[in-house]
Amino acid sequence: MKLQAQYNRISVVSSIIVLLIAGIGYYFLLHYVLTEQLDETLRVEQVEIQDFVRTNHSLPPATTYKDQKIEFKKVAKDFLQGFATLTLYDPDDKENELSRQLVFPVQVNGQYYAASVTKSQEATEEMIGLILLVTLGLIILLSVLLFFANRLLVKRLWKPFRTTLASIKNFNLDAPSAIKNEKTAIYEFNELNESIHMMTEKVVKDYVSLKHFTDHASHEMQTPLAVVNSKLDILIQDPALSEKNLQHLQSIYNAVDKMSKLGQSLLLLTKIDNKQFCETSDGDIRSVVENKLQELDEWIQEKHLVVRNRVNYLHVTMNRQLADTLISNLVINAIRHSESGSHILLQSGKRSLTISNPGATALDKHRIFDRFWKSQHSDGTGLGLAIVKRICDQYGFLAQYEFKDSHHYFTIAF
Amino acid sequence: MKLLVIEDEKDLSDSICTYLGKEQFICETAYDYRTAMEKIHTTEYACIILDITLPYGSGMDLLKTVKAEGKTDGILIISAKNSLEDKIEGLQIGADDYLAKPFHLSELAARINAVIRRKIHSGNNIVRFNEISIDTLAKQVTIKSEPVELTRKEYELLLYFISNQRRVISKNALVAHLWGHEMGAGESVDFIYTHIKNLRKKLQEKGCGDYIKSLYGMGYKLTDL
Repeated sequence: MKLQAQYNRISVVSSIIVLLIAGIGYYFLLHYVLTEQLDETLRVEQVEIQDFVRTNHSLPPATTYKDQKIEFKKVAKDFLQGFATLTLYDPDDKENELSRQLVFPVQVNGQYYAASVTKSQEATEEMIGLILLVTLGLIILLSVLLFFANRLLVKRLWKPFRTTLASIKNFNLDAPSAIKNEKTAIYEFNELNESIHMMTEKVVKDYVSLKHFTDHASHEMQTPLAVVNSKLDILIQDPALSEKNLQHLQSIYNAVDKMSKLGQSLLLLTKIDNKQFCETSDGDIRSVVENKLQELDEWIQEKHLVVRNRVNYLHVTMNRQLADTLISNLVINAIRHSESGSHILLQSGKRSLTISNPGATALDKHRIFDRFWKSQHSDGTGLGLAIVKRICDQYGFLAQYEFKDSHHYFTIAF
Repeated sequence: MKLLVIEDEKDLSDSICTYLGKEQFICETAYDYRTAMEKIHTTEYACIILDITLPYGSGMDLLKTVKAEGKTDGILIISAKNSLEDKIEGLQIGADDYLAKPFHLSELAARINAVIRRKIHSGNNIVRFNEISIDTLAKQVTIKSEPVELTRKEYELLLYFISNQRRVISKNALVAHLWGHEMGAGESVDFIYTHIKNLRKKLQEKGCGDYIKSLYGMGYKLTDL
């Protein structure tokens, strides 16, 4: 739910509750005040009647004038005066009307009378109704106005937030552009912008230093490896070495080879990430494939593989070295993981290249292009396909893996 | 023939000198820029093995100095930075070859021999081992003046053996030399074996001695009978 919707929901519900309670209170207050006023006029009437009785020693005539009615009734004894609200039938309007009545005792020549002054309350009620209506109307109008004004205002208030959000969404670590840091009048947004600015700066710095770290680590690895390699080369010159020890040395050689290849692959990956292969040229994938197959012919022959090359002319614009690495890694992968005597098929689509080789089980298509992911039996570095992926990413190509009819299919869509 | 090894990693420098010193070379070492500069000025070397990152200066500057002074020393760069840009820059300034670390000493020896053949003994492009002689320009192998037909790989193999004669060459070094780094040693055991078997057969057919000895399949050595 949007913040504004949430805000509106809360504010509308609470406004309604508050208005309801306030309205009821307001009604009763108004009612009380107006009734008091009415009672006051009844009391004035009472004083007039009492004055009349005191001076004339007789009762004034019972009158019915407009909304006011004065009546006298004989009673046996004195009683306490009191107000009452009555519903009386009004013959003029032919309906029941609310009235306020004050009944008080008067004594004329020793005889007690109950004097009652009655006034219609209808006018008061009408007034209350009118006042309530006007007030309610005003409140509704005000609420509607406020609602729209709020919407407009909130939209404008949130504008810096949206700008910041948009620039965060567009933020790319590989090509970091500074997060737009518009100065706003709002303290919170400025604080947010500053925090984001600081955070992205730190992230970019860490990312760059991490990149350099891989770069340096791979470089620094090469010299010690060169020392190990050279010492091995010296060591095997010793004629006194036994076969057993030579086998140990062979294992060290292989490990050093592997490590050196790992370093080279990591360096290549960081170089691709650092966009150090920016030089591009127009080329043909078919010729790259043909060259690669020729280079690897011996290996193919040795494994008795049948390679069918059905790749047609496929124009690409990319770095030559990367094109070579891309094809090389895919072809070597296919050769490496094919059983002796199996068929490898290379074919091209309109804008794609597919290499397929037989395999027993499907590989994890979600992880196959990850760094250091490899199948259990693989002897490689686990970086070959990761490099393929990075090269594809750089040029917007799509690298896909599929397993169908006991065959692995690697497709690059250019 | 004198060599100068400019390399700040003493262990590596020692290995290089031990390995190359076994044959016709006399090795001198320099562990930093200043010593290297002094030695370059005072002595003429058949080949200088040059590391790029050195204490007190860059190997590239040493290379520039050698070239600026018109010296004819062959120069082979060994660098931990296996970058194409470095390689291109080095070769453009006038280095004769570029070898990325880590490398096999046998590879270094083969490269140095090639550099010296091209540079110092210009015109003398014949490499010999007993009755085997290779014309490196025509890429022609002859035994007792009789030509031997070898495939490209067999030819490269033989030349590599002669450059590292009387020394054990590991199988890994041979694989790296013949196929670069794309293939692992484990994957190419049989290739090496086949190539060496064929090479020996072809040489022996021409009445050549069986000079290539195997060390339990992990290394090979071209040696006198």
